[in-house]
Amino acid sequence: MAALPPRADELRAIIRAHKRWDFVFGVLGLLALMVGVLTLVALFANMAIDGVPRLTADFFTSFPSRRAGQAGILSAWVGTLLVMLVTAVCAVPVGIAGAIYLEEYARKNWFTDLIEINITNLAGVPSIVYGLLALGLFVYAFGFGQSILSAGMTLALLILPIVIVTTREALRAIPQHIREGAYACGATRWQVVSHHLLPYGLPGILTGVIIGLARAIGETAPIITIGALTFIAFLPPLPLTGDPPAGFFDWLFSPFTVMPIQIFNWTSRPDPAFHQNAAAASFVLVFMTLGMNAAAIWLRYRLRKNIKW
Amino acid sequence: MTDKHLSTQFDHELSDVSTHVLEMGGLVESQVAQAMYALAQFSSETAGQVLSQEARVNAMEVEIDRDLSMIIARRQPTARDLRLLIAISKTIANLERVGDEAARIARTVQRLINTGVSSRMRLPVGDVSFEADLAIASLRKALDAFARLDCDKAIEVIRQDNLIDQEFDGLMRKLITYMMEDPRTISASIDLVFVAKAIERVGDHAKNLAEQIIYIVKGTDVRHNPVEAIETLAR
Amino acid sequence: MPTTLTLPDKPPALKAESRELDFYYGSFKALKRISMPVYENKVTALIGPSGCGKSTYLRCFNRMHDLYPGHRYDGSIHLNPDHVDVLHRSVDPIEVRMRISMVFQKPNPFPKSVFENVAYGLKVRGETSRSFLSDKVEAALKAAAIWSEVSDRLDDLAVNLSGGQQQRLCIARALATEPEMILFDEPTSALDPIATGSIEELIGEIKQKVTVLIVTHNMQQAARVSDYTAYMYLGEVIEYGETRDIFMKPKRKETEDYITGRFG
Repeated sequence: MAALPPRADELRAIIRAHKRWDFVFGVLGLLALMVGVLTLVALFANMAIDGVPRLTADFFTSFPSRRAGQAGILSAWVGTLLVMLVTAVCAVPVGIAGAIYLEEYARKNWFTDLIEINITNLAGVPSIVYGLLALGLFVYAFGFGQSILSAGMTLALLILPIVIVTTREALRAIPQHIREGAYACGATRWQVVSHHLLPYGLPGILTGVIIGLARAIGETAPIITIGALTFIAFLPPLPLTGDPPAGFFDWLFSPFTVMPIQIFNWTSRPDPAFHQNAAAASFVLVFMTLGMNAAAIWLRYRLRKNIKW
Repeated sequence: MTDKHLSTQFDHELSDVSTHVLEMGGLVESQVAQAMYALAQFSSETAGQVLSQEARVNAMEVEIDRDLSMIIARRQPTARDLRLLIAISKTIANLERVGDEAARIARTVQRLINTGVSSRMRLPVGDVSFEADLAIASLRKALDAFARLDCDKAIEVIRQDNLIDQEFDGLMRKLITYMMEDPRTISASIDLVFVAKAIERVGDHAKNLAEQIIYIVKGTDVRHNPVEAIETLAR
Repeated sequence: MPTTLTLPDKPPALKAESRELDFYYGSFKALKRISMPVYENKVTALIGPSGCGKSTYLRCFNRMHDLYPGHRYDGSIHLNPDHVDVLHRSVDPIEVRMRISMVFQKPNPFPKSVFENVAYGLKVRGETSRSFLSDKVEAALKAAAIWSEVSDRLDDLAVNLSGGQQQRLCIARALATEPEMILFDEPTSALDPIATGSIEELIGEIKQKVTVLIVTHNMQQAARVSDYTAYMYLGEVIEYGETRDIFMKPKRKETEDYITGRFG
């Protein structure tokens, strides 16, 4: 190769020096990431190592017991599921409807701005405050008692800001030219919302809902405040069983417990066998949460495939 | 062509092509003048010079047409620019024919000389020269009007064509008288008729040029109309 | 005396007419005293430099501005044959949009199937019969010169079509409801020359059934496609006339400066 002019050599040296910094930062970034990831992995592995041996079929189908070997999480995970159901049923329609109203119907004035600010602030309220509010409102004032209904509604309030905000983001992500195209065809506002905005926003909305639920599943403070019990050796009644006038909705008013509380209860006992139970239950809880997040990602991927603008 | 386009390249192209047109016009004007000089002086040499220019005139027509096509293809001209280019296309066709007429005059001169005609014969060459002067002046005025896009001047040219036609008619009568008086002059007189006719056609071409100028400036096609009508149309 | 017998063109009927139309975005006066006819079954083009208000004017016809706050109409746009003022507050914009369709600059098919896209205008009117919709969809796709390309994939996603096909699909969607008038807002500015050519061809065909009002920043397109042209500048109509007059012999110097590229 012919000799290069000196300037090119200098350039090469400078580029090499810069590339060294590239490499250094790459390494540092990776180390930082590894710290976080490895810590989580270590915690999770620790929990798994402790708890997985305890995961037998009995563990899932037994009620809590004073004897660690016989204690199970049946009432806890059933309670968690039912509370999540109520939470979803309460939060989703209210949240989505609220978001649609704010995004598509409300006029842009100071009043709407005020509402928006309040909603975003609600996301930062400590969860125990929700618990206290729920205690006064749902448990006593409305008379729902210390029940699944109260718990579900409390958590619904908790995750409502998340649902509203993510639904609004999902609606905002729909480009204006799609709306204009629909309006130009002679659609009314509700037709635009129901034929276009909700279907196209569904991936985002669902993701928001699932993320909200994944957060709610682990909330302990409000549930404790409204009085979830820790030693429940029974399940909420199935519809139409039990003494008349038992109906479809008796289970809503039944006492209950949830996974985080069960874990908390077992952790605070001195017996190490219960600690193993707690580890196992934690593993299950983390697995449920991760599972929900994974479902959110998968759903989002599936539903987004056909949406292109 | 006074306001500038956003594209200075376009401005250059238009002014270049206009310059070439004027160049061609000057060339054929001098051809006609030279041909008439050859006639007046019975100069075979001058006639030969006129003929040698013919190829150049034809080449200019082809070249300018090619430039026009390129401008139209590239610039998609509209309104005034489009009218200018269309008018130039017709103008150069007219100028080329003026060149042809000049060549015809020159060939006639050569034939006259070859058949032994000379200034000894009392032919009304002077009258023909007078008619020619009118026609050349018309042509010059038309070219001037084109350079300045002057509508009023163009209308004068159109009006002047009537004069040229009248001169031609007068010349015809005179030549017929000559032929009747002295049959020996018939051959030469007929040649002079051809020359006079050629000059009359030069005047017509100048008029056509003027009509194109009115088209460029006003957008109205005034061809095939009498002068009075043209004055109204061109307002 | 004429040597050939040519029938005189029928005088064009007036489809719509704006009268002294002002339009405000908030306090900004975007349109000033626009009075202009739109003739039936003819193509009328709006040309002018950016910001002259041509799109603003176009979007008055189907009340698109109503979707955004801060708009104010002053003046009228009358639509024949019933001579209704589409801008009047007592007139429902939904009704107006059912009579006047729109095709946008960037092709905007819905992320639905081809069939659903074209049938959408009919669906919002409450048509549910599948056979009725099928017939209308087929007719519209044929009118938009795209039937042969999509007839075997009506259930495929519309967004998978090419840009030119998508725009023709949007035209089919606009045609399916058999509107009286179609508004085109720079319909080919996002397309390649071949797609542009096919859309221009299409506009020439559909004008036999529909009145067309088209905004374009491409002057040659306006010259090719339209029968009437209006040159707009800073919210006013500077000159309106038959296209051949505007492009060969415009009356106003501003118009001539713009179309010959002396503008600036």
